[in-house]
Amino acid sequence: MNDWIYSDKVKQHFLEPKNWLMGEENQFDFNARGLVGNVVCGDQMLMLLKIEDDVIVDVRWKTYGCASAIASTSVLSEIVKGKTLDEALAVSPEEIAENLGGLPKHKFHCSVLGDQALTKAIEDYRGDQK
Amino acid sequence: MRRIYLDNNATTPLSENARRSMRAIIELFGNASSMHKDGRLARQAIEKARANVAALIGAEPSEIIFNSGGSEANNTVFNILAERDFGNRNEIIVSAIEHPCVLASAQKLEKKGWKVWHAPVDEKGKLRISEFNKVLNEKTALVSVMLANNEIGTVQDIAKITQLAQKAGALMHTDAVQAVSKIAVDVKDLAVDYLTMSAHKIYGPKGAGALFVRTGAPFLPLIVGGHQENGRRAGTDSTLGVVGFGLAAKMAKNMIEKYQKIAKLRDELQRQILKKIPFTTVNGDGSLPNTLNVSFAGAEGESILLALDEVGVEVSTGSACASGDGKPSHVLMAIKADPELAHGSIRFSFGLDNDMKDVNYVMRVLPEIVWKLRAISTVKIGDKNE
Repeated sequence: MNDWIYSDKVKQHFLEPKNWLMGEENQFDFNARGLVGNVVCGDQMLMLLKIEDDVIVDVRWKTYGCASAIASTSVLSEIVKGKTLDEALAVSPEEIAENLGGLPKHKFHCSVLGDQALTKAIEDYRGDQK
Repeated sequence: MRRIYLDNNATTPLSENARRSMRAIIELFGNASSMHKDGRLARQAIEKARANVAALIGAEPSEIIFNSGGSEANNTVFNILAERDFGNRNEIIVSAIEHPCVLASAQKLEKKGWKVWHAPVDEKGKLRISEFNKVLNEKTALVSVMLANNEIGTVQDIAKITQLAQKAGALMHTDAVQAVSKIAVDVKDLAVDYLTMSAHKIYGPKGAGALFVRTGAPFLPLIVGGHQENGRRAGTDSTLGVVGFGLAAKMAKNMIEKYQKIAKLRDELQRQILKKIPFTTVNGDGSLPNTLNVSFAGAEGESILLALDEVGVEVSTGSACASGDGKPSHVLMAIKADPELAHGSIRFSFGLDNDMKDVNYVMRVLPEIVWKLRAISTVKIGDKNE
């Protein structure tokens, strides 16, 4: 029986987050960067993408925030790896939450924030390309 | 797995003595208001409990009104103002760090036209007496300041605040839910008109509490329609809860020395955290012996709490993420301006069952948890702190 406060998936991604960036940003070779949220509000997310031929080939992230925020960024990093930029942009907060086995209402903004970080990184990349 | 409970300000377990007293009377079903034997037996058990609760705080038994707990007691005090004519007195002073049930009760009165002042506290959580004096005046009907704060454990000088309040002709209430049993609480020394207590913070059952009302102080019941508690609180007496509360109160009479020993554990945890985990600050002044509230820069409180829970350590946080309303603790916001530190706060509240092994275990797991969350975090600590 699951007696945890959130879903097992959230727990899994919180306790063993995937693709997070150890150390400084220069430890990862990226060409797209999205930073959203702020510490005053309680959560901030940084998404770093390595894009080759319009495909996200690698991802690293950092998150300041609660378990759901960490889990949202972690699961998102797994979702978008290997996706084209258009495919990645089509990922919705609902899809992030679904992949986490659902988020409680008051934690849904965590998935929204993850989605915003991703979008910002891709927009940042496309802006540079123009 | 080993479970270490360090959330005793949230609630305490039922003590063996309280449990035994409740088990002994669980078959005593009589309504304490009934005149027959079953009723009289229940009445006797309740009055015995009342004597114990009164003795714990130096009150007369007739000054104790049993109820459902701290929130009801606090609501009851403010309800007196709502329903009684206080003439020209239409102002209330509460401290900025009161329990939400006091703040919400004051807000209800504000909507009815009362003027509510939120007296500020200093960076340790102590009421700023000079600021308090500025808002205290001949229109103040009630002053409500908690004895010990549940989140940061700061203890107020209630005797002094009462003196000032009563000199201005105001009534004085203190929420002593966290203070009772841990530090000396005597209504004669404090000289308050109203004092709130709760059973489940002193190893008694949940759902039982009491309001002390000084003989002669204005009173009106919150729950009406019955003569129970001398017409001061309607509703069939909760024999089981009251008896457990009474026994807990009896045992609590001798707890202050035990809490002095607990303070040593708390102090040791504080010393080790500050020594081994950088960019860490202590919230509050440590005057309540069992409470340690610490902020870890760059790591969010709910994450620390859940990671600690995974390894068997139970604590609480003032983080916005854990609050449900998206706001960081109003207490931490009142003592310092930096919301980031409020988000990263963890409260360790010790109980009588803790020992040095618990402290050592926490220190085996906590530094790594904070380290990892800081490594994952976007916040670069050291940039702005220290």
